[in-house]
Amino acid sequence: MTAQGDFSRQRFLGEDSEKLLAEARVAIVGVGGGGSHIAQQLAHVGVGHFRLIDPQDIEASNLNRLVGATENDVICSTPKVEIAKRVIQSVRPLADVRVSKSEWQAAADLLKDAHVVFGCIDGYRQRMYLESAARRFGLPYIDIGMDVTRLADRHYAVAGQMISTRPGGPCMRCLGFLTQQRLDREENDYADAGINPQVVWTNGTLASLAVGAFVRLLTPWFDAPNDFDWLELDGNNQLVSRSRQPEYSIKGPCGHFSANDLGDPFLDLSARRVPKEQP
Amino acid sequence: MKTIFRATDRFLADVRQDLARPHPFAAERVGFVSVRATAAGDHILVLLAADYHPLADDEYVDDVTVGAMMGQEAIRKALELAMMRSVGMIHVHMHEHRGRPHFSKIDLREQIKFVPDFFKVRREMPHGAVVFSHDSANGRIWLDRDTIVNISEFNVVGRRLSIDVVRPGSGLDRLA
Repeated sequence: MTAQGDFSRQRFLGEDSEKLLAEARVAIVGVGGGGSHIAQQLAHVGVGHFRLIDPQDIEASNLNRLVGATENDVICSTPKVEIAKRVIQSVRPLADVRVSKSEWQAAADLLKDAHVVFGCIDGYRQRMYLESAARRFGLPYIDIGMDVTRLADRHYAVAGQMISTRPGGPCMRCLGFLTQQRLDREENDYADAGINPQVVWTNGTLASLAVGAFVRLLTPWFDAPNDFDWLELDGNNQLVSRSRQPEYSIKGPCGHFSANDLGDPFLDLSARRVPKEQP
Repeated sequence: MKTIFRATDRFLADVRQDLARPHPFAAERVGFVSVRATAAGDHILVLLAADYHPLADDEYVDDVTVGAMMGQEAIRKALELAMMRSVGMIHVHMHEHRGRPHFSKIDLREQIKFVPDFFKVRREMPHGAVVFSHDSANGRIWLDRDTIVNISEFNVVGRRLSIDVVRPGSGLDRLA
């Protein structure tokens, strides 16, 4: 058992929800401002197995938003994955937590046996690559991100999104979120209020939406109306609404991924076998 | 080795719908699911359902001693698919009930006769057999001609994510 505890307050999620959550394996790519919130909430909910991937150590500028981080962590340059692991295991000591302090491409093995991948990374192109990996391994993908844009002198628009996609349904390109225009220009003006501005309350709101999407995916609490979710957060007005962009962007079944794109094209089980001992 | 079979709910619904169709003389239908795969270390193998290949009506042999007997042409076509598309091949059929299904002794006897042959044409991929019920599944996978492991988990991905863990002692583990 990976998540012992009294889950009576969330029994409405379904008769077997405690077992489902305890058996679930989640991969969180990026455990900074958004991912640290998600890790903490999933531990409280009772998820049993975590795979945490992030190459970075904490810095002083992360303390404004990284859940569980302390001043001492900054002094010690603690890896973010270790902070998230500590938070999870302080809530659920029996949780199975595997970490990799690396880029996710170097830790793809941690994604493969996951049930859901959470993407909490910067940049449209990196999102596209991570969603592609999730599709390759047949996994649902839940993405969060926020942005601060300067509208005029001392006026900023805080916005964010939570997008959930799954194999067989439209991907983030089908939805109209990952557009060629965005991919082309992201290096120059992804955010213009400094380097990747982030604040704890917006990250927390988006993380909560992501955890809600995950719980709805896994438990019989509430049927999802679509094969995807795209919720937009207007951080200035504190409003969450369903994006209407997919109504205009989805042209039919996803043509960006096919059965040929599944799995590892270079898998060779015959090369992995241990030779039998000679008599 | 932990072996996970993963497919979308739509894919499995289509497979079940086809397998449930009556056949002119066979008691049940069979088919093949082609799979691609990935591995994490030496301990985890994930099979990803790619395409379904039903048998045509005339590819069955009329044999009243079994539920369905494949003809040589059906097996030849499946071998060709494995070779030409670089995929693993999973023989599938369905039992008409709910809950965990189990292979019959005849299933186990017949699988041994044809599954290892797939390694003659596509030795780098896993091959095997899966039996479905209306809401569950069971299966076993050959890692080479001689090494058989049970599928330990079925993941069905759709609007709802299903994690169906095959518990040790639930029947099949003693059969592999």
